[in-house]
Amino acid sequence: MECLVSYFINFFNEPSPRWAIFSRVLAATFGGYALATSSALFISQLLSSSAGRYQAIHIGLLLSFLVYACAAMWVFSASNATKAWIGLIKWNLAFLFGTWLLMQFSGASH
Amino acid sequence: MLLLTSLSFLAMVLFCLAMNKHRKQVFEQTLPKLAVLLFRPLAWFVLMFTAYLSVALFGWSIGPALLFGALTMATFLLIMVLTYNAKIVPQLAIASLLMVSVSVLTH
Amino acid sequence: MKDNFRQSMKWFHTWVGLSVGWILFFMFLTGTLGYFYQEITRWMEPERPFIEHNLSNEQLITTAQTYLQKNAQGIDKWDIYLPTVRNQNLRVGWRNPPEDGKKRGRYKTTVLDITTGEKVESRATGGGRLLYRMHYRLHYLSTKISYWIVGFCAMLMLLAVVTGVVIHKKIFTDFFTFRAKKGLIGWLDIHNVLSVIALPFHFMITYSGLLFFLFTYMALSTNLQTNEDEYREMRKEIFPRTIHTDSANQAAAMQDLSSLYQQAKNTWKKDELSAIEVFAANDINAQVRFIRHETDITYNPNDYVRVNAITSEVIEQTPREYTVAGMIHNGFYSLHEGQFAGPLARWIYFLTGLIGTAMIASGLILWTTKRKPKQLKKLNGPDFGYRLVEQLNIGTIVGLPIAIAMYFYANRLLPVSMVGRVDWEANVMFISWALLLIYPAFRPATKAWREQLQLAALVYIALPLINALTTDKHLVNSLSQQDWGFAAFDLTFFTVGCCFAFSAYKYKTLQPKKVVSRKKRRQDNTLDNDNRLQLPRISKENG
Repeated sequence: MECLVSYFINFFNEPSPRWAIFSRVLAATFGGYALATSSALFISQLLSSSAGRYQAIHIGLLLSFLVYACAAMWVFSASNATKAWIGLIKWNLAFLFGTWLLMQFSGASH
Repeated sequence: MLLLTSLSFLAMVLFCLAMNKHRKQVFEQTLPKLAVLLFRPLAWFVLMFTAYLSVALFGWSIGPALLFGALTMATFLLIMVLTYNAKIVPQLAIASLLMVSVSVLTH
Repeated sequence: MKDNFRQSMKWFHTWVGLSVGWILFFMFLTGTLGYFYQEITRWMEPERPFIEHNLSNEQLITTAQTYLQKNAQGIDKWDIYLPTVRNQNLRVGWRNPPEDGKKRGRYKTTVLDITTGEKVESRATGGGRLLYRMHYRLHYLSTKISYWIVGFCAMLMLLAVVTGVVIHKKIFTDFFTFRAKKGLIGWLDIHNVLSVIALPFHFMITYSGLLFFLFTYMALSTNLQTNEDEYREMRKEIFPRTIHTDSANQAAAMQDLSSLYQQAKNTWKKDELSAIEVFAANDINAQVRFIRHETDITYNPNDYVRVNAITSEVIEQTPREYTVAGMIHNGFYSLHEGQFAGPLARWIYFLTGLIGTAMIASGLILWTTKRKPKQLKKLNGPDFGYRLVEQLNIGTIVGLPIAIAMYFYANRLLPVSMVGRVDWEANVMFISWALLLIYPAFRPATKAWREQLQLAALVYIALPLINALTTDKHLVNSLSQQDWGFAAFDLTFFTVGCCFAFSAYKYKTLQPKKVVSRKKRRQDNTLDNDNRLQLPRISKENG
């Protein structure tokens, strides 16, 4: 039992490369997805007055895969996993804040 | 389509002859300097002309798609020839030139 | 991750590609075959007649209409498919009323014999359709699960394409470079060449693949911004539909479709017809839509002529209005499917698809080739991971083509009256793939490569023979009748078989020089001893 526990502790030991990679994979998959979604929200808010609401949403969706790809690449190029997570959260918050700000201007209900 | 492919092949041959290492693969003797200098602009010209032709023949939507297809095939053929029998590149270029003229005439 | 951006991306490219490489290989190969799915279906239904006919479109339309009047009474919408270059049979189709508890009925197409006007009975088969649907439906899995798996793999493919461009140092100077005789460098070169020359295709096919299920993958985003009604409205704006004509439940006699066709001919000033749709058949609201070959990647209103089937007036159609984004989205769909492609362009689509398949295969082989010298030096033999990758490579890169051949064998050899025949065709394919995946575990890698290559050569070269023994559509007949569909199949099988045989032979001789057969991924020389000694130097040069 003790052996098993220590194995797991070692496996997910903070500085161990395995844990770091696992953490990055999570960051790229889920953090990247969150970023793709928040960027889609931001883009659709940004364009909704010029392109029409539905088309704006659509453009946001079309670009989300590219954002996703860039996010994943960035996660794996950051110098360590913690930085990658912090960066993702920062950008997510920035997009969400931008969306909120634009919504205040346009007075949209969504 | 055949026209596009043979024109793409010509353009790619010219591009590759503009590069020193490939020119040495194809020709044993050195070519006049002027000819070498002309290869690249000529290649761009043929490529642009092919692009124009693809749009003129097939429209803005399908034309570019076919152009990329033709370029892929032509480049693949050229690379295989360069690797296994580089000396016949000039003959193939002339053959594709003939093919271009035939398909223009029959059009 | 690593010291600099390019190094990190190189690491990322390697592992992204490796983690789903085999599924991507499967998706690319079955998807590539999909460019010929109609032709494959025709091959798999050899009972269909091939008739050199000189019947006019009007006569064919009359034959179809007579059959539909007799056999599709009470069905609202009829489809008629005219013989084309891709499919030389006259076919009709309709959707049966739904069975109990089902939302939609089954869609059924029937092949008609144009001389007798009667139905052609052919064997039950999944055909090319089942084969190409595997590339996004993954056959055994449920729709939902397979869409997500496919999406995940496609996303990683997109990442691999983008990172691949980032890490390629000299795209333009190495554009034509393929140093075939140099072991590891040769593999790197061929991987680069196959990636770069078809880069627009790779990007297009991957990105558009993701777009097919855009609203499934990015559901969170749409759910946050739209409610159900708005969502439906948005979809309508992105995918505008032609107006569906409902029947008024008031019987009326339709005019002959063949005489209505004159209207379409007048509009097109050409006698080119590929399909007809009849809405509200035998009803006062009846309308007919004549469709010709697609001439645009989104929607060209000129490709359709709609006629009132009672009064024979042409109904003016307002062209569908696309938003710019909608046009891009639908354009990507068309580019992915390539329905607009004529015969030569279709072959180019097919070959480019094979280049994509070969690119994935060469990447997978590159992974093992690079690690081989180090792994072979290990005291306890190569690592488990290395052996697993090697085994999966053999079982997929050579195994899957064999399994696909088995799908064709099953079509010819399973008893025609067999129950569940359609399912078993696919089962045979997947069972043989499973066997070929397991087999390399019990053989040394070099022997497994060679034996599976030999097997692949054997099954593909024997396919035309089996075809000749089980049907009357062998090469002599198909060539003398100028039935190019069947002739092309036999010749392609034979060519593929020869390519496998050639690579098996080259593999056996194990010459240091690398030999590339023209057709896809069959460069299968590994390194011999001389080359192995040079490897460390080469890999440093490359790293």
